[in-house]
Amino acid sequence: MAKHKTPLLDQLESGPWPSFVSDIKLECENRAKNEKGVEFQIPADCPEDLLGVLELSYVDGETHWKHGGIVGVFGYGGGVIGRYCDQPEMFPGVAHFHTIRVNQPSGKYYTTEFLRQLCDLWEFRGSGLTNMHGATGDIVFIGTTTPQLEEIFFELTHNLNTDLGGSGSNLRTPATCLGMSRCEYACYDTQALCFNLTNEYQDELHRPAFPYKFKFKFDGCPNGCVASIARSDFSVIGTWRDEIRIDQEAVAGYVGGELAPNAGAHAGRDWGKFDIQKEVIDLCPSECMCYEDGKLSINDKECVRCMHCINTMPRALRIGNDRGASIFVGAKAPILDGAQMGSLLVPFVKVDAGNDYQEIKDIVEGIWDLWMEEGKNRERLGETMKRMGFQKIIEAAGVPFDVRQVQEPRTNPYIFWKAEDVEGGWDRDIVEYRKRHQQ
Amino acid sequence: MAFISSGYNPEKPMENRITDIGPREYKEFLPPIIEKNFGKWLYHEILEPGLLMHKAESGDEVYTVRCGGARLMSVTHIREICDIADKFCDGHLRFTTRNNIEFMVDSLDKAKELKKFLNEQKFAGGSYKYPVGGTGAGVTNIVHTQGWVHCHTPATDASGTVKATMDVVFEEFQNMRLPAPVRISMACCLNMCGAVHCSDIAILGIHRKPPMIDHKVLDNICEVPLAVAACPTGAIRPTKVEIDGKSYKSVAVKEERCMFCGNCYTMCPAMPLSDKEGDGVALMVGGKISNRITKPAFSKVVVPFIPNEPPRWPTMTKVIKQILDAYAEDARKYERLGDWANRIGWERFFEKCGLEFTEHLIDDFRDPAYYTWRQTTQFKF
Amino acid sequence: MPLDLETAKKEIVDFCHSKSKSKSKFYFNDFTKLFPDAKAREVKKVLTALVNEGVMIFWSSGSTTMYGLAGEGKQTAGEGEG
Repeated sequence: MAKHKTPLLDQLESGPWPSFVSDIKLECENRAKNEKGVEFQIPADCPEDLLGVLELSYVDGETHWKHGGIVGVFGYGGGVIGRYCDQPEMFPGVAHFHTIRVNQPSGKYYTTEFLRQLCDLWEFRGSGLTNMHGATGDIVFIGTTTPQLEEIFFELTHNLNTDLGGSGSNLRTPATCLGMSRCEYACYDTQALCFNLTNEYQDELHRPAFPYKFKFKFDGCPNGCVASIARSDFSVIGTWRDEIRIDQEAVAGYVGGELAPNAGAHAGRDWGKFDIQKEVIDLCPSECMCYEDGKLSINDKECVRCMHCINTMPRALRIGNDRGASIFVGAKAPILDGAQMGSLLVPFVKVDAGNDYQEIKDIVEGIWDLWMEEGKNRERLGETMKRMGFQKIIEAAGVPFDVRQVQEPRTNPYIFWKAEDVEGGWDRDIVEYRKRHQQ
Repeated sequence: MAFISSGYNPEKPMENRITDIGPREYKEFLPPIIEKNFGKWLYHEILEPGLLMHKAESGDEVYTVRCGGARLMSVTHIREICDIADKFCDGHLRFTTRNNIEFMVDSLDKAKELKKFLNEQKFAGGSYKYPVGGTGAGVTNIVHTQGWVHCHTPATDASGTVKATMDVVFEEFQNMRLPAPVRISMACCLNMCGAVHCSDIAILGIHRKPPMIDHKVLDNICEVPLAVAACPTGAIRPTKVEIDGKSYKSVAVKEERCMFCGNCYTMCPAMPLSDKEGDGVALMVGGKISNRITKPAFSKVVVPFIPNEPPRWPTMTKVIKQILDAYAEDARKYERLGDWANRIGWERFFEKCGLEFTEHLIDDFRDPAYYTWRQTTQFKF
Repeated sequence: MPLDLETAKKEIVDFCHSKSKSKSKFYFNDFTKLFPDAKAREVKKVLTALVNEGVMIFWSSGSTTMYGLAGEGKQTAGEGEG
């Protein structure tokens, strides 16, 4: 018997898409039955109260959660978000109901053994409700009480060999696509770089000292499956700078209709026979391809690596061999100053595990030094860039100026020349001037 | 409910403390076939909706079955997922960036058997537990935020709007018949923890009433300088307020300057802004992340406000379906939603989608606004 | 010139006390201003030491984080975590 009546939420149990309401109800039942005899450390019926308070929000169109800023684990400034219900008498099980972010493994591969350990811990010391995963990439545990926070952290670090994720003015939990583990487009090992930098910058991840949040995201290719160019202050996107590898036989296979174009991605509608001219050559943004006499040729020097031809004919075309990554900086969602896309800082860098990615780390640290010094409170890197000018970031990163860093050159001539830019500097003699010009 | 210690000693927090160990190393979790062929993949094919095959240089093939799920997930559900992975995949699985679950097996027969099995699993209420799909030119799972489930500044619910939307567009999750992939995202307020600003279709919770001020308690529960500093537009200033002959230290809000972000409420619980009539959702369209053919792009607001209509938000889902149908009908193969709108012109977009253009859709927020106004004689009647 | 840990700790605590009438929480930047010649990373080490000693605590809005003296400030009581 449900603790609270939820007639509105019940309407979300029908329909084909997996119902979170049905799932929570199942959790309620299992906790009530408690067949394994778990000694729940927070109220066993808290999922019931969560449904209750959510139903109340569905009735009155307003949230019933309050933010809490103090709770956390000792010594860390992130990883825990305080939450309190504003109707604690009605819903005592969720009166204190904090979130814990747990750092997910790169690429979000799991063994069931590890997932079950997480489940056992979270059933015992928390609500049993999670997000797999949060928007930034963490495993999110939704709902526990303050006394359980240290206990959970202790068990995570001692028994599960895993740490919390970031929140607040920290390095946020870095995230990556699945990269080379199962994708032929990956131009570098995104998982390895993500894992390495996450460990290198644990202090930045747990102890906030930035003006605002800072996100790393790693995409293996310009398809951008983890959206790094839109969502991360420091976005590393795989690319190459030599020739796309062509298998002419497979090209013929696509043209002849033996191979399904687009890896089958458009198979659900009859788009007619595959037309290489119309579907590949004519759509190439840099018009660098041509198909003549049954042979595909690419003027690779003019290619901008948009991935369209490779996505369309993956068995015929493969990424080049001279691989690395481009680095973009300053992307963010809207608040405060409007949304920003990442801007190209480094057109090409080798992603070199051999020297522990030192080249990339130098760039990261150069940027951090400037931003920590000059960034205003609650100013994302993208906003600091806009305020100070991109030149300052390029200098701080210690990388060369490059025409690729701009979409087009400036349209105004209001250049902030510096004295050292100008022959003879700025020191001039007014007396000498007057010798040539009357007053 | 006896307290059971983990071994942590609250008197000595630093005793035996382990910190800064980071996440588990991903290599521990890779299925053997993935580990063996790491970095040596030749190509992939989507054999049918939700079923992928990746071919390695070694000749190995790995078959992936992708299924959707609510990202709000109980341990009961996760354990069931583990049971499936134990039964079919030797105890391995992965999650995707868009909250899908992927099960990997080594033969097509196994994959088909698994797909069938997953599609047979239902919740008591009738919904699928593991609907297979989310591949290719279709709609995949919606990434979203917490909403009324667990956030203090949402203008709407996230899980509910997502469930209602996915129910309406479910056929497109199971099919690959759209001109290109359509990525739908949901964030429950302007702060966009779920950065939806580059999605084909974005559902965004918005507030429309400035915060109320609980003058009598404000000075007791928050610090005035922090509330003042919290405001991105500088609309808050310290003030003194007289109520029933008693003077209170408080703040004043320059309401015409409020952008309805809720940042003040985060810093100061005496400034709530949620409101049944004021809150609802906006719809944004035409953003993308991928560099394929065209550049990454921001989503644009095309519906400034739709009231909250829980539990199923029928007006919102109707408009989303309208946009999706017009796009499916009219766009060219490979054309993302925003590329289609750019090609036909936004004036046509509003016409074809049956949407009304209002003053609220003309940008007036800071610098970028100017670049969105039309500065050419080229437009369509 | 590297910071002397004990002197720097005292300076930070004194600064927090001097402001305690108007506010109890501070951005990281407020502390770097106290030590104009020191690198931000050095200042951070001092703050980390104070946190590990339990003298200072973090306060997080979820998106930003501030530092304050443990047990002080209106939120402490307001959140019932005092």
